[in-house]
Amino acid sequence: MGIPITYSEQELILALKGRDDQAFNFLYDNYAGALYSIIKQIVTDNSELASDVLQEVFINIWRKIDTYDQSKGRLFTWMLNIARNASIDTLRSKSYQNSQKNQELPDNVYKGVANQTTHLNVDNIGLRKVLEKLKSEHRVLVELAYFKGFTHEEIAEMMSIPLGTVKTRIRNALLQLRAYLQ
Amino acid sequence: MNVKEYIASGIIELYVMGLATESERAEFEQYCTQYPELVAARREFEEKLEKHASENAEHPPVEVKVKLLEAIGSPGSLKSVSNPPKIINYMENSTSASRGSGMSRFAAAASIILILGLAWFGYHQNSQNKELSNANNALKEKLNSTDSILNQIIAEQKVVKDPNVTVVNMVGTQVAPKSSANIYWDSTSANVYLVVKNMPNLPSDKQYQLWALIDGKPKDLGVFDASDNKVILQMKNTQKAQAFAITIEQKGGSPSPTLDKMQSLGKLRQNQ
Repeated sequence: MGIPITYSEQELILALKGRDDQAFNFLYDNYAGALYSIIKQIVTDNSELASDVLQEVFINIWRKIDTYDQSKGRLFTWMLNIARNASIDTLRSKSYQNSQKNQELPDNVYKGVANQTTHLNVDNIGLRKVLEKLKSEHRVLVELAYFKGFTHEEIAEMMSIPLGTVKTRIRNALLQLRAYLQ
Repeated sequence: MNVKEYIASGIIELYVMGLATESERAEFEQYCTQYPELVAARREFEEKLEKHASENAEHPPVEVKVKLLEAIGSPGSLKSVSNPPKIINYMENSTSASRGSGMSRFAAAASIILILGLAWFGYHQNSQNKELSNANNALKEKLNSTDSILNQIIAEQKVVKDPNVTVVNMVGTQVAPKSSANIYWDSTSANVYLVVKNMPNLPSDKQYQLWALIDGKPKDLGVFDASDNKVILQMKNTQKAQAFAITIEQKGGSPSPTLDKMQSLGKLRQNQ
């Protein structure tokens, strides 16, 4: 037990699907930090909330590992999406909304989101740092789609832009994002 | 389909980052089974994203892992929990799962406290038993000695009140002016009793000796100690006596008195 074990991705997936505690330990030690960072970027630097979400995410990973399909993507991609979805769900949850209800509610969703977008304290961590390099019209779309979880249709409506334009801009934004990922 | 164009469209990024629609996803997954270069391109972006995320990793609080391993450690709790446990401050209560583990921890703590409590109780009971037993023995001893003192007092009373008993007040001599004792002599039964009133303590190799003086000759009536001052002492019998004398002798007594060490002398009244 005391000997550090490393896994190839393939071995790790097999061990996890075999409910190997040690593999889960390894998974946590190697990926918790990366997922915690992305969770914080979405729940906007609320460390306590991010810790709650991180725990929830790893429990979901443990419970749902059987549903992970390697042909559809890497393990990290799968976990990253679980983390992102859990973070967005938390932001939208009743309890979180209640905790925020003392704050002034925006007249319309876009205005509120736009305000939040310009007042974030997490601009210089992770993907958000890369996002800063994009043009603002692209940045807002990625913010709304990726970090706030709005659908393309919702974004089109709230920004009064044609759906096709939203789709094209988001794709362009992501391609630029990719170019900045080194 | 032109794979290069498809790759360049941004669909890979959309798909990997979870922003593709259901139909876009289905289509992408379908193409992946047909075009290995699409899979390779997807994989390339995934690795970039993962690398970037790893480089920007931030250490989560240690208690998250502790809580998590606790939850994973009990397989039942993982399956039964619909809402995963929240990380909680140790002072707060939260969801059922964390409460569950809290309960088991509480139960463990409680049973340890119970065991310690029982051990202490057992130890305490045992030592209390010993104390009680010791106290009981002490009381028994005390009762025995009190009983014997009482019996002696009763005997003394009997002697003192007996009309046949003559009381001889022994007074100190010049050698020992403060020495005093009483002799109770029952002339009918010839019993002689002695009550020490005040006799100085002697060295451990010496004892007091009582004599009866009969026609000028001393008769040994036995030895006693200064410490025999609480009780009536029955001495040797004598039918006759004109006087009684107390001397200091070697321990165990002497056949004849050392008269220069005579401590006390009591004469009987002439009519006796």
